[in-house]
Amino acid sequence: MSPTYVYGVVAADAVLPEGLRGLGPSGTVSLLADGQIAAVVGDVPVDRPLGTRDDLIAHETVVDAVAGATTILPMRFPAVIEEAGVVDELLGPNEEFFLRALTDLEGRVQYTVKGRYEQDVVLREVLEDDEDLRALQEHVRSLPEDASYYDRVKLGELVVAALEQRREADAAELYDRLEALAVAVVPHQPSQPEDVIDAALLIARTDIEAFGEAIEGLGEAWSGRIRFRLLGPLAPYDFVSSETVETGV
Amino acid sequence: MTVATQRASGGGGNVERSGGGGSSGLADVIELILDKGLVIDVFVRVSLVGIEILTIDARIVVASVDTFLRFAEATNRLDLYGKGKGGAGLPDLVQGMTESGSKGKTTGVLEGAVEKVGDALTSRREDREEAPRRRPRQRVKEQEEE
Repeated sequence: MSPTYVYGVVAADAVLPEGLRGLGPSGTVSLLADGQIAAVVGDVPVDRPLGTRDDLIAHETVVDAVAGATTILPMRFPAVIEEAGVVDELLGPNEEFFLRALTDLEGRVQYTVKGRYEQDVVLREVLEDDEDLRALQEHVRSLPEDASYYDRVKLGELVVAALEQRREADAAELYDRLEALAVAVVPHQPSQPEDVIDAALLIARTDIEAFGEAIEGLGEAWSGRIRFRLLGPLAPYDFVSSETVETGV
Repeated sequence: MTVATQRASGGGGNVERSGGGGSSGLADVIELILDKGLVIDVFVRVSLVGIEILTIDARIVVASVDTFLRFAEATNRLDLYGKGKGGAGLPDLVQGMTESGSKGKTTGVLEGAVEKVGDALTSRREDREEAPRRRPRQRVKEQEEE
């Protein structure tokens, strides 16, 4: 009996891409099949705790490399169980759940799109649109730094509020465009005031090329105002959920 | 000028692309694999292995006042009726350099925090004598002001 790391679950006939390197000492990644499904497994370092930067990156690299080739249901980091449990507890009793999820996601892959304002461009817009802000900016500028603390906080607060207002309109337009491209979209709350959009998209593999071109077109259309980042292909992290599992059934 | 070069070559277009494999940076990786995906505990009970896990408790805290001050600073840098507006050449060049310098500075907040995530992930290696815990909770919170 040895501890086993589980990266995710795939169809039993899935073929793993070459060159995968897991987080265990051997680095090997293989399939452990049961019925129509298989777990993507590897060994686990036993002489040290898990959770280093390299461990996290190895987990993500394996999962997303597999996702590039075939549908994988990704496990959340970390996922360690006894080897015997992979079949007896993970795959066996949950085959129906995994099969359904794999079927739902068949031929689809996740991309994440993030958009961020070109800060100076949008700040300029904000100032040009608001006379009171300009007045406050002038006031702050006229004061020595020590004396302007509260006015600076006020100015920043108003600017952040104006950015968020602007984001609402821009994000609505972007989501309209993205929803037309994707099978499904999961929006995330942007984490910084200058972030416009952070969205997970489920894309059909057959549409990947067209999708890439459409995103490039989006980047071109908003060029100079919003900068986009496209992550993927990724495993469908945002489109799997443990919450629907009925354990023990 | 360096910035202009980077932009022109960035991803061969207007969109910066990264595949998986940590190429997109640790912050993106953490966002994906710690907060999302199937939780093994939901499926498996008996054969869970008690392994020791580093406590990943990195917080990207953007205190509201700091955020406001950052944007006040960025706003104050702007010169709406910039004198160098009409002319090409040196004034534009100088302005461009100032802007790129400040851009580096403002994004530094997040990058600094991400560095800290990296540190947190590697700095706990010494905690080995700690008794192995069974499925300890670990979360990375990206805490932000909204």
